[in-house]
Amino acid sequence: MAQERDEDNFRSQVEDRLDHLFEEESPETTEGHVALAEHPLKGLKAVLLSIDWEITDSTMDSLLNEIKNVEYVYSEDKIILTFLQLLGSIGKYVKANKSKAHPEATRVINSVYEALERVALTEGMSRPEKERMLLEEVGRFKKLKEQVVLRKLAKKEPAVSEVIPPPEPAPEEKRIPVTESPTPEGVQLEAGREARFAEMSPHEAFAYALEEIKNVIQAEFRALRAEIKLWRESR
Amino acid sequence: MAIINLKKKEVQAKIVYYGPGRGGKTTNLEYIYKKFRSRIQTEMVTIKTHGDRTLFFDFLPIEIGRIKGYDIRIQLYTVPGQVKYESTRRLVLRGVDGIVFVADSLAVRRKENVLSLKSLADNLASYKKSISEIPLVFQYNKRDLLDEGIPLLPVEWLEKDLNSKLMAPSFEASALKGPNVVQTMKKIIVMTIESLRKDLT
Repeated sequence: MAQERDEDNFRSQVEDRLDHLFEEESPETTEGHVALAEHPLKGLKAVLLSIDWEITDSTMDSLLNEIKNVEYVYSEDKIILTFLQLLGSIGKYVKANKSKAHPEATRVINSVYEALERVALTEGMSRPEKERMLLEEVGRFKKLKEQVVLRKLAKKEPAVSEVIPPPEPAPEEKRIPVTESPTPEGVQLEAGREARFAEMSPHEAFAYALEEIKNVIQAEFRALRAEIKLWRESR
Repeated sequence: MAIINLKKKEVQAKIVYYGPGRGGKTTNLEYIYKKFRSRIQTEMVTIKTHGDRTLFFDFLPIEIGRIKGYDIRIQLYTVPGQVKYESTRRLVLRGVDGIVFVADSLAVRRKENVLSLKSLADNLASYKKSISEIPLVFQYNKRDLLDEGIPLLPVEWLEKDLNSKLMAPSFEASALKGPNVVQTMKKIIVMTIESLRKDLT
């Protein structure tokens, strides 16, 4: 009986401490955000979510098809079309390179999609706000291309390589920077080291990860400069 | 195995978030870290690779404080979910005291959930631990996608596939948005500390 009471007391103390430490405030709201249930983006989101680590031609084809479907729906909306072009461009690159694609590629895809969803679903969002969000994603896209270039420069052995296709220009689009910015010629990706990555010893893998971090930091600075330049140009 | 220092009156327990790739293990820890960073006053360590994927593990230490005269420290880990990192997963499980199995609710991930649970059982067995005896909590993640019209596995199916024999506590959750992320963590911490309690008396 005493032991049981002691156990209850102990459990109660632990729970109280956790309740105090992790007391949550009111949940975040998504005011002004419409659910996707019957939205044209639903299919695109479903495909993006189903893209597994082992990216297949089938899933990537589905992604590209869904992008085309949504492009048809939004054929009059230049901002959304540009978002979709960014997605399509990275999608083609990932399809060509699959698991050898740059580590940032799928992250950028997800980021572009999230911004697209917010722009498409948030009621009352102003055009300048939409353009600002698009500009951010264009910056990420450009940063990705720079990182790809950096990896190419760091390449020390022959490897299968692919080119990131530039986003196809939106019809009659003049204002969106992504369609105006030139795509670096010969943007290629190194793949050989990535292919061997899983076979590295923990020590080698850690050294590799450090090198990656260094490269990412360098690319961050380059991208930051590019974004500042874009921001100045847009004013 | 938890580190229990009777002289210093310290207890350090290890909890591992396990589950299939892209199921939301890292997102769980990130949510906790972002939400309670000022209170837990520790740093989250993470090493990622391809497309934001976990390479080795994520690590988030949490100081619970003094209970019954013992300083309780919890270490939350995730494993890399990708199939090819089986040896890393096994390594991270060494010395584990409690498990959160983060199942992916997406309909297309049913098989991956089952395979991942089997791999958990096998890896625990390699340390002579039984999945039916270790503190275990299931989290059925990504339930928020139901509102978006994305096809999800019904919770009954997830329970049948994964939890019919183990009968462990389970939570429907959204690691991205937060519902039941903290509840899952609290539950596994309580279960784990309780399981270690006999060593403290």
